[in-house]
Amino acid sequence: MNIQGKEKMTYDAIVVGSGISGGWAAKELTEKGLKVLMIERGRDIKHIEGYENAMKNPWDFPHRGNMDSMAKEEYWASVRTGYTGREEHRNMFENDKQNPYLEKRSFDWIRGYHVGGRSLMWGRQSYRWNEKDFTANLEDGHGIDWPIRYKDLAPWYGYVESFIGVSGSKEGLDVLPDGNFQPPMDMNCVEKEFKSTINKKFGGRAVTIGRTAHLTAPTKIQTDLGRGSCQFRNACMRGCPYGGYFSTQSGTLPAANKTGNLTLTTDKIVHQVIFDDEKGKAVGVKAIDQNTKEEYEYFAKIIFLNASSINSSWIMMQSKSKTHPNGLGNESDQLGRNIMDHHLSVGASGTYEGMEDMYYSGRRANGLYIPRFTNWGSDKKRDFVRGFGYQGGASRASWGRGNSMDGFGAAFKDELSNVGPWSMGLGGFGETVPDSNNRFILTDKTDKWGLPVVEFDAAWGENALKMRVTMMNEAAEMLEAAGFKNINPYNNPTPSPGIGIHEMGTARMGRDKKTSVLNANNQVWGASNVFVTDGAAMASASCVNPSLTYMALTARAADFAVKELKKMNL
Amino acid sequence: MNRRDAMQRVAFLMGGALSAPTMIAMLEGCKSNTATEAATSFALSTDYKTLVAEIAEIILPKTATPGAKDAGVGPFIEMMLKDCYSATQQAHFAKGLDDLEGSSKKVNGGKKFLESTPAEQTALLKTFEAMSNEEAKKNAEAKKIVDAETGLTKDTKGKTEAPPTPFFKLMKELTLLGYFTSEVGAKQALVHVDVPGSYVGCIKMTPGQKAWALS
Repeated sequence: MNIQGKEKMTYDAIVVGSGISGGWAAKELTEKGLKVLMIERGRDIKHIEGYENAMKNPWDFPHRGNMDSMAKEEYWASVRTGYTGREEHRNMFENDKQNPYLEKRSFDWIRGYHVGGRSLMWGRQSYRWNEKDFTANLEDGHGIDWPIRYKDLAPWYGYVESFIGVSGSKEGLDVLPDGNFQPPMDMNCVEKEFKSTINKKFGGRAVTIGRTAHLTAPTKIQTDLGRGSCQFRNACMRGCPYGGYFSTQSGTLPAANKTGNLTLTTDKIVHQVIFDDEKGKAVGVKAIDQNTKEEYEYFAKIIFLNASSINSSWIMMQSKSKTHPNGLGNESDQLGRNIMDHHLSVGASGTYEGMEDMYYSGRRANGLYIPRFTNWGSDKKRDFVRGFGYQGGASRASWGRGNSMDGFGAAFKDELSNVGPWSMGLGGFGETVPDSNNRFILTDKTDKWGLPVVEFDAAWGENALKMRVTMMNEAAEMLEAAGFKNINPYNNPTPSPGIGIHEMGTARMGRDKKTSVLNANNQVWGASNVFVTDGAAMASASCVNPSLTYMALTARAADFAVKELKKMNL
Repeated sequence: MNRRDAMQRVAFLMGGALSAPTMIAMLEGCKSNTATEAATSFALSTDYKTLVAEIAEIILPKTATPGAKDAGVGPFIEMMLKDCYSATQQAHFAKGLDDLEGSSKKVNGGKKFLESTPAEQTALLKTFEAMSNEEAKKNAEAKKIVDAETGLTKDTKGKTEAPPTPFFKLMKELTLLGYFTSEVGAKQALVHVDVPGSYVGCIKMTPGQKAWALS
């Protein structure tokens, strides 16, 4: 136990985790005048100078990006995604051997333990949920009703979009509400034609450019923080020295630092919330230094858990007290349950004949988006509930096509210098419905810090498996209708939950403590000064990428928390 | 993130650098210790180092632009085999080199591959390419059965060890990877732009325009 005085370790608020939602909690709480301690379990990565691979070229990587055999052993979970373990950005992902987990049923748990968390490597696709996403559970009976509706979150979506900067095109769709957008990225010729054909042949079906948290016309909010426009290098996961996309480092951390109210401490693994049974509330957290194993205690009036969907619940499970004998806020036994993700690895690709004299320039780390159309509006009856969206895009082949061409020699080589044919792919992202049997638990096994190792037990449900057949067929139909050839529909069932790296739902929001862990303001039932605003809070999954919603929920909860604190309610 | 079929996604991210079977082979985690063994014990003989570098040069010869040798593809292939592939794949590749020498002596009057004429070398490599295609086809058929209705792949992965990538196929893939991601390959055979600064979706191509090195 450290010997520093308790006073020195006391703050107005503690934020556990510095990823996409923790950064937002720190920014909002410090800007509202609170003295905040943000605790990160991993190492520090400084903006720009910490991005060691950002400016490297392909030939600077010994294996030209590929994983070597030793890395495959160390990063055994990352191997499964096929890209997180790559040489260019492996330093941003966790070594799975050092941070083990168990699988009763297989789960891909891809982590980033460092300042900024996965906000440094996220996909940056930023979509609002729609009104029906918040009522779907109530309507079809899967999971429990959300305690909030779209209107509760809408102003916070706008607030977050204006700060992080989202490029996109307004489409006026109820299924994919518009936001505060910077100018959209460009589509290439084949994509433009595809969009217009799909719109005509499929009764107005929308195809839009991906809405992505990249700056295309930075505002003063962003330039004041030193951020600049996206440079179209498509090397995002290595960290962006231009601040072209939103991350904790490029956005919320400098904003929080500007207030003078933030203290950031790194390398401290928070594993428990300290609950005072007499006061009936949490008073602080316990942490272990990941390098020295020294134990620390920190104290505050309010605590935000933003440790990730799994780790926030992992902390709560270890936070047992007389009042919370089964873990913090776990009267419902829902803690750790209802893990959701987006199922993918399904869709179609095809080649395009024509436009041979047309090309593009720049490397756009973004693609097309086709919003959900199943079980929506006048859609026909489906054999599954909810829906999916597609992400995809068209491009011209490069030298890689040589691998499937016969021949070699001078003519072969010169041909590979030329621009290859067009092709296009559409990959589905499907909603999964909450299922209490999809869960993780703490085991008796411990890691090198003596902390419990988790075991996953989850699978895609029957609804998802039915949905996938439609996801594959509809993608193929669209490509066919748009004149593509050599259409290759695919439905790869091998990837396990977690593959989308959109894991969520282990401490869901709800309307009562018998069925949920958090209330409508993300407060833990029975510990109202503890807020959980990361993916753990989600009561359903929608089919759109989730980070924008985590950020909006966080900003909303922080606003509520500070108001309650001022009213002396916490 | 750019997500999709895991394999397709990798193919996309890598610009289609490696074939699906090769990627599957590379993605399948090695069992304990085998990685260490494979990574420390593999080496090509001096003769085979030369042979690999020469085959690479035949695949991508020096023309108006640098060739495979200029890009250091020979040593690159040996390093990749050592660091990134299983002992089974390494042995399969080495056997491919043995077979090539054996066939060369047989069909070219006792001459080693590098003692043969360019025409003889080309003819032999064409034979080996055809053999590789045949082997790859068999591997693919053995590996998966696709349900026509659902499109579900009944993958046999886990039940049987994935077959190694055929010799010539891997030789060619690693040659292409080593060359086009090298500095001379990217800058001279292709067009390399460090910081594009913008994305312009529709541009009329100029005559003889080369492909971008990165996508």
